[in-house]
Formats: sequence, structure tokens, C-alpha cells
Amino acid sequence: MSSDFAISCRNAGKAFQLYLHRNDQLMQALFGWAKTYYKKHWVLRDVTFDIKKGECVGIIGRNGAGKTTLLQILCGITKPTTGSVAIDGRIAPILALGSGFDGALTGRENAIIGGAILGLKRKEIVAKLDQIADFAEIGMFFDQPMKLYSSGMVARLAFAICAHVDADILIVDEALSVGDEAFAQKCENFIAEFSKRGTILVVSHGLDYLRTLCDRVIWIDAGVVREVGDPDEIIPRYKAAVRKDDEDEANAVIGGGEAA
Amino acid sequence: MSNFLIEPFERAWHHRELIRAVVRRELKSRFRDSFLGWIWAIFAPLAMLLAYTAIFTIATPAIASGVPIYDYAAASFCGLILFNVFAELAARSPTLLHEHVHFIKKSIFPSETIAWTSTIRAIVYGGISFGTLLAVRLYTVHYISWTVLLVPLIILPFMLLMLGTVWFLMALGAFTRDVAHLMVSIVPLLMFATPVFFQIEQLPAGLQPWIKLNLVGDYIAMLRDLVIYARFPSPWMYLGCVVASYAVFLFGYAFFKEYKSVIVDVL
Repeated sequence: MSSDFAISCRNAGKAFQLYLHRNDQLMQALFGWAKTYYKKHWVLRDVTFDIKKGECVGIIGRNGAGKTTLLQILCGITKPTTGSVAIDGRIAPILALGSGFDGALTGRENAIIGGAILGLKRKEIVAKLDQIADFAEIGMFFDQPMKLYSSGMVARLAFAICAHVDADILIVDEALSVGDEAFAQKCENFIAEFSKRGTILVVSHGLDYLRTLCDRVIWIDAGVVREVGDPDEIIPRYKAAVRKDDEDEANAVIGGGEAA
Repeated sequence: MSNFLIEPFERAWHHRELIRAVVRRELKSRFRDSFLGWIWAIFAPLAMLLAYTAIFTIATPAIASGVPIYDYAAASFCGLILFNVFAELAARSPTLLHEHVHFIKKSIFPSETIAWTSTIRAIVYGGISFGTLLAVRLYTVHYISWTVLLVPLIILPFMLLMLGTVWFLMALGAFTRDVAHLMVSIVPLLMFATPVFFQIEQLPAGLQPWIKLNLVGDYIAMLRDLVIYARFPSPWMYLGCVVASYAVFLFGYAFFKEYKSVIVDVL
């Protein structure tokens, strides 16, 4: 099945289950068919958008707006409560760099497992190990246990793996805030290069960066899509809205202070 | 729905590269930082088996009466091998998802493969113990029956039983830590409900059918038949065990699948 869309999201919504008591989770698992033990907390509602193949789309929104949850749904990590998501192509999610590594193993071994998680055959990933080592620029540490790595080195290796799995869709969640200037630049270059051949979905608070990189942005506000469109139009509006929110909040604090 | 009988296998086949990579990692890393490495994997069961043989030779307890000492020690060890596989998996399964929480929440990790990797690993260690047992048998009674070649036919359904158990406990353990505490407390007790140091036939007749409900015990009895007594297990018993294990396997997988999407949110 092949379509023009790499990602197609239809009325996707996500409600987390809030439990008053920790043991209610077990009760729900055992007796959920008879009684509901949780309250629903909607973090995403009715999210609908399409991303064409080869498009580069940014997601903006304030903390807690539901951006990360949306990415998790798109990657298939968590299921949407309502609606559906269709993905066409192989996804490489750069969500939390290096969180899946085992410190006792060398970078090389972790790269093999990381590749397998992303769906690569052992042969394919072994053939790319040298390229990965080159890209990560961690030298002889590639064959050392990862517990000896600095956090920057872990991030470098994780990005290098994701960059070499021949994905069709790259999903980046503020990964670029780690690593030093030079490596961040390298990652940005890679993403810019990738955007010429593949689909990219990137979450970032670096608004100016998104403006140069993306064809479109999706603005998510309190779990719903507020606007979709040209970054040059939407980002200034988003900035203005954020500024206004901050001012309102500041006024509220001052107002509260006077009342007390 | 029609393929629900084979769906777990299809999923495992789809992720075979990942399962293989993780199993290799776990086997390699277990003895990595030790000087003697894999010798430890053989040393532990060997020491245990020698200790049993020695104790039973010296003490000659009443329960071993009428049975050659070497056979008694080997029969107990057969029981221990399978029971230890079960005990390790049952005690560890409830915390497995908690241990892999970063994989599960932060990357597209197929969590059902965790059951495969941990079961395969446990079976491999059981296999090392089994190899030790065969070597010791050769040394003590200078004879191994050809029926040993049939052991894989016992181990495969036993693996299905373990996989189903692991999936079930893994999913349940994700919801509450109590399951982990429960398993750690009752697994040692289960040893007494399993014919590890005794044979089913030594029990009062009224108790035997109940103990036979314990599938692990049935597998132990069948393993002893093949390895020590050089005879075929009852085909009905074997068939019953295969069907029951497959049912546990399918149930465990279905249970895990049912809660898989919820588990991500509660971990």
C-alpha cells in the first residue's frame, strides 16, 4: 500500500488514566470489564493532519501541550484512545537519545541492538558500523563499555545510529539540545540533508531554527491543533500568543499578590 | 482472528533479529567482567550436583531407599534444572517491564520480545546444567540412553509453558509491584508442590492427581524417564502437557497483548 502521505493522523485523541490509588491500576486490569477505576485525563483531542512524503514539519506548543504524547502515538509507542494514525515507511524516532543503551556493553554492541530495535537486520547494521563510528566521532570509545561514556558521547552515538538506519521518516524530539556546538551543527546539517529525501517531523522550542527548516508547522495548544500552515505566518502568531499568556500570568500573580 | 494460534510465532519471527541480538548481549554480558567467564556457568551446577551426590551417598536418606544413589542424585538434579528455569522466570517476570521501562517508553521497542529473550536465556543456562548432568552421568554410570536425543521434544512445549507464564506475570507485574513480592515468596514454596526431590509415585495415592496438575512436575517426570530410566513417557501425559502448555502460551500472549497498550501508560 503506497500513498502520497507519510503520516496521516485522523481525529487522534489520547486520554491518560488517572488513578487515585496506586492499587486501582491492578483492580482496573482485573475487573475493568465491570467497573471503571480511573478518571480520564485528555492530553490530546481530535488531532487531524496529513504529512506528505518528503515534507518537513515542525510541531510547536508550550510545555504540556501534548507534543511528546503526539510523537509517541505516531511512533506507535502508545496507542491513541480515539481516532487512528497511519504511517507509510520506516520510522527512526530520536526521542530521548541514548535512553535505551546498556552501560555494560560497548558502543558497537549497543549499536547492533539499537539497529535491531529500529528493524534492521544484523548484516545491514554490521555493514554500517564503521559509518556510525565515524559520524559519532567517539574514536576508540566505540569499543569501550558505554558506562565510560560522557553524556555527550552517548547522545552522539544515539544520533549516529538513528541517522544510519535508512529511515523514511525521521522523528526528532528536541534531541539537538544535547552535545556540544559542533555536534549540534552536524546534526542540524544531517537533518537539513535528510529533508531533501525523507520526511521529517521535528519538535523544538528553537523557533528560528524551525522557521528555516520546516515547510509547515503544526501549533498544538492544550491538546488540540490550533493552527497548521506556513512557519512564517504561524510562528509570529505563536510568539505573540505565548507573550500574551505570560503577561496574563504575570498580571494574575501581581493581582493575587495585592489581594493577599 | 483465524491465525491467533500462530500469531505469537509470527511476531517473534518478525523480530527475530532483535531477539537474537538481545539474547547474545545477555549471554555475553553475564560473565563479561569475570576472569573465569563461562567456567562459572558450568561450575555452579557441577558443584551443586556433586554436593547432592555426596550428601545422598553419606546420608542415604529414607526417601532414596531402593533407588541407586547416582540415579537418585541425577533424578533430583533433573528436577532442579527444570524447576530452576521456572523459578528464575517466575520470580523475575513481574519486574521485567519495569527494568525495560526506558526501552518501552522512549523507543519503538516491541515489549513482547522480552518474554522470548528471558525464556531463551533461562533455557540456555538450564542447558548448561543439563550438559553437566550428562557428563557426570557418563562418569558415574558410564552410560547414557539414546532416549536423551528426545529431550528437545520435552523442552519445546516446556518453553511454550514458560513463555505464557512470563507474558502473564510480566503484564500483571506492570500494574502492581505486589505481584513481584508475591512470586518471590511463593516460588520457593512451589518447590514442595513439585516433584523435585521426590517422585510422584512416592506420594499418597489421594494426593497424586493434584500434584500432576503441576505441569512443571510432569515435565520433570518426563525428563527423568528419558534421561535416567531410558524409557518413553506416557504418550497421553505428553500430549496433555503439550496441549496444556500451548493453551497457557496462547493465554499468556493474549493477556499481554490485551494490556500492552495500557501498560505503556501505567509504567
